[in-house]
Amino acid sequence: MQKQSVQDEIIGEGVPFSRIRRITGYLVGDMDRWNDAKKAEEADRVKHFTAKDCVCRH
Amino acid sequence: MKREKRISSIIKRDGKNEPYNEAKIQTAIFKAAKAVDGVDEEKARILAYKVSAYILENGIGELEFADNSIEFYKVNIEDVQDSVEKILIENQHAKTAKAYILYRKKRSDVRDASGALMKLMKELTFSDSKHCEIKRENANINGNSTMGTMLKYGSEIAKDFNKKFLIREEHVKAYEQGIIHIHDMDFYALTLNCLQIDVGKLLDNGFNTGHGALRSPGSIGSAATLVCIIIQSNQNEMFGGQSVPTLDFSLAPYVALSYAKNILLYLDAQFDNEALTFAVKTAIAAYRQKHRHLMNEKAKKVLLQILAENAQKYGLEIDGKKALAFAYKKTDKDTYQAMEAMIHNLCTLNSRAGSQVPFSSLNTGMDISEEGRMVTKNLFLATEAGLGNGETPIFPISIFSLKKGINRKGDPNYDLFRLACRCSAKRLFPNFNNIDSSFNRIYYNGKPETVCAVMGCRTRVLGNDYDPTHAVTPSRGNLSFTTVNLPYLALLVRSENPESKGEALFEAFMDTVGQYIQVVFAQLLDRFEIQAKRTAGNYPFLMGQGVYLGSENLRPEDEIREVIKHGTLSIGFIGLAECLVALFGKHHGEDTAINEQGLRIIKYFYDRCREETKKTGLNFSLIASPAEGCSGRLLRLTRDKFGVLEGITDRDYFTNSFHVPVYFPIRAGEKIQIEAPYHKYCLAGAISYIEVSEDLSPNIDAFETLVTAMADADMGYFSINHPVDRDPVCGYVGIIGDTCPRCGRHDGEGLPLSVLKKVQGYSPDPKYARVHAGIQEENDTIPNS
Repeated sequence: MQKQSVQDEIIGEGVPFSRIRRITGYLVGDMDRWNDAKKAEEADRVKHFTAKDCVCRH
Repeated sequence: MKREKRISSIIKRDGKNEPYNEAKIQTAIFKAAKAVDGVDEEKARILAYKVSAYILENGIGELEFADNSIEFYKVNIEDVQDSVEKILIENQHAKTAKAYILYRKKRSDVRDASGALMKLMKELTFSDSKHCEIKRENANINGNSTMGTMLKYGSEIAKDFNKKFLIREEHVKAYEQGIIHIHDMDFYALTLNCLQIDVGKLLDNGFNTGHGALRSPGSIGSAATLVCIIIQSNQNEMFGGQSVPTLDFSLAPYVALSYAKNILLYLDAQFDNEALTFAVKTAIAAYRQKHRHLMNEKAKKVLLQILAENAQKYGLEIDGKKALAFAYKKTDKDTYQAMEAMIHNLCTLNSRAGSQVPFSSLNTGMDISEEGRMVTKNLFLATEAGLGNGETPIFPISIFSLKKGINRKGDPNYDLFRLACRCSAKRLFPNFNNIDSSFNRIYYNGKPETVCAVMGCRTRVLGNDYDPTHAVTPSRGNLSFTTVNLPYLALLVRSENPESKGEALFEAFMDTVGQYIQVVFAQLLDRFEIQAKRTAGNYPFLMGQGVYLGSENLRPEDEIREVIKHGTLSIGFIGLAECLVALFGKHHGEDTAINEQGLRIIKYFYDRCREETKKTGLNFSLIASPAEGCSGRLLRLTRDKFGVLEGITDRDYFTNSFHVPVYFPIRAGEKIQIEAPYHKYCLAGAISYIEVSEDLSPNIDAFETLVTAMADADMGYFSINHPVDRDPVCGYVGIIGDTCPRCGRHDGEGLPLSVLKKVQGYSPDPKYARVHAGIQEENDTIPNS
């Protein structure tokens, strides 16, 4: 009975996903350390390419 | 009955009360008098008495208490000082009054400055970096860590000192206004920016870090460890990045040494005959004296012959091919381990001030020798594998040098280019550096030192006007750089010429830009002068070990002036997009005609750099500024002055260098065509990005197509961005939207362990694994009965 309750321990509560992005040519371990301006810039980024754009051999 | 009035106490600036002391006022007045050659102390005493009387007569104080005959007043220190000024002037002591006012102002300035500094120290000490922007200026520094905070203390105080005492007032003013940004101002008086380190030379000769001597290594494993030590030693003498220009060429000889060792290892295991091992060792060493490589066909024949001759001599049957095959396989493994250790070391060892890891970059991909190829291949394989728990390594930045005839389709290293694409699609590194670009290929003569290399952030050094016989990459770097705020200048000119439009406005703008280019050149030269006066003894590794070009012959007391002339002095820019909106209403991504204007602006910077180089003999060059810390700062200052303007100051950052704004929808092909022509002007470095919406790992062809399109458009340095997310709970690496594709949890959500355990590929972070292990143990423990 007690075993069951320990087995179903909830794991990962409050643990965020880590998100790695390129900042000025280099990577940053986690976006927590980015300054406000660079965070705002990252949020604004749009995509320029998807594999479907590419008519190349497979 | 009228009561007598007296001053009992004085309220100081910190709010505390102190007994009122007229003698102190007398001393202050006499000090001021002495400053203007006054000598009469008695006069000062009378004036001090008059000050007290003046305060009481004019009801300046506040009643503190009273008894039957006396009223006691408390008075504010600022009011006392105002009264002193008044009395001095009323009594015809104008000069003394002036001296007193000056003294008072100076004291108040010191109080303000130290107050501001203490306030800053308090913020650095007690605020979490989440709420403290200044602690997140540079994402490499963990502002909450002990040494991270200590570095910030030093850094902020140094900046303050440099602004007050070292940098010309005119330049400080332009900096404070946000017209220019002087990068790394904290290191203004101390050192140079960055370096491309010739690790091959240091490895071949051995070196001393200043804490002890190291011999030339005998294997790829030791060589890779020493590369880390070199980077870490040099990092502590400079404020910017440390790069290895051609890692493959530099490490190839040590792969060959490992190969030779592994042949001997095979012989030892097979025959355990010391004389045989020694004879083979000697013969290989004799061949190595004249030949760098051991893995090519010619060397292979020689090695087989050496083995055959010795087999005969010692009456043994040696299967030479098997021996070489064993050695090759083992060396490949050794090289993988060496590269893996190097990546882990450079990514994790926080050996730099502020608990940072060194800012390390490794350029590779040009060496077609088997040994060199083995280095490149294993560097990427180890990068692809990731860190201990499969995380993406943040450092070192790897850079693949792309060159036709070497590693494009059909070339000997094409397989490595493909591997580079595969690795980058998963790990964001390597970035790509185009040796075929019009401005890189002119220097390339087949020798490794003429291969363009970059600092991972983008900084490039190759041409050398100070000494054209040394137009090389190794042992050189940038000295310092300063960024011009283009949107600010555009708005300034617009506000000064409200009637102007089109070409007239543009010309006025270029005029102003020209003036500020001159300001920046002067500031860079001032800084150069400070750097030049430093002596070789200040840099026991960088100069003491001959790491900087030409520093071998410097004595510790010699100025470094002449050798650092090989370095570059760079002017940078930010926000071309916002600047064009301010001038023309549109940015260069929206209209090709506007892009032509953008190119005119940047070409003008380039031309001015060339002129300044001719004039001074120093390497002035243009950088498309990295601008991590100043992007927000310059935006805020510009917005404060000109307000929130659509497309110019309405976002919280300025667009990097000549980039098309990140928010502007544009397809890859078009973005490449717009940005490519800027690269040739930015010879101190530039980078372009393409943002890709998905993980391209399953589609390396598409990745390669993008990379070669950027190269063929004459871009210099570029990379492909895609999200790399990771769920520490289940260990998934890839793109994570709202929920993890592997375990299905939301950001911050908890899952029952029983559910997690059923997730395919579940590989949790050690932190969480420990939790699980603990639970497991608990489950397995049988309670004592």
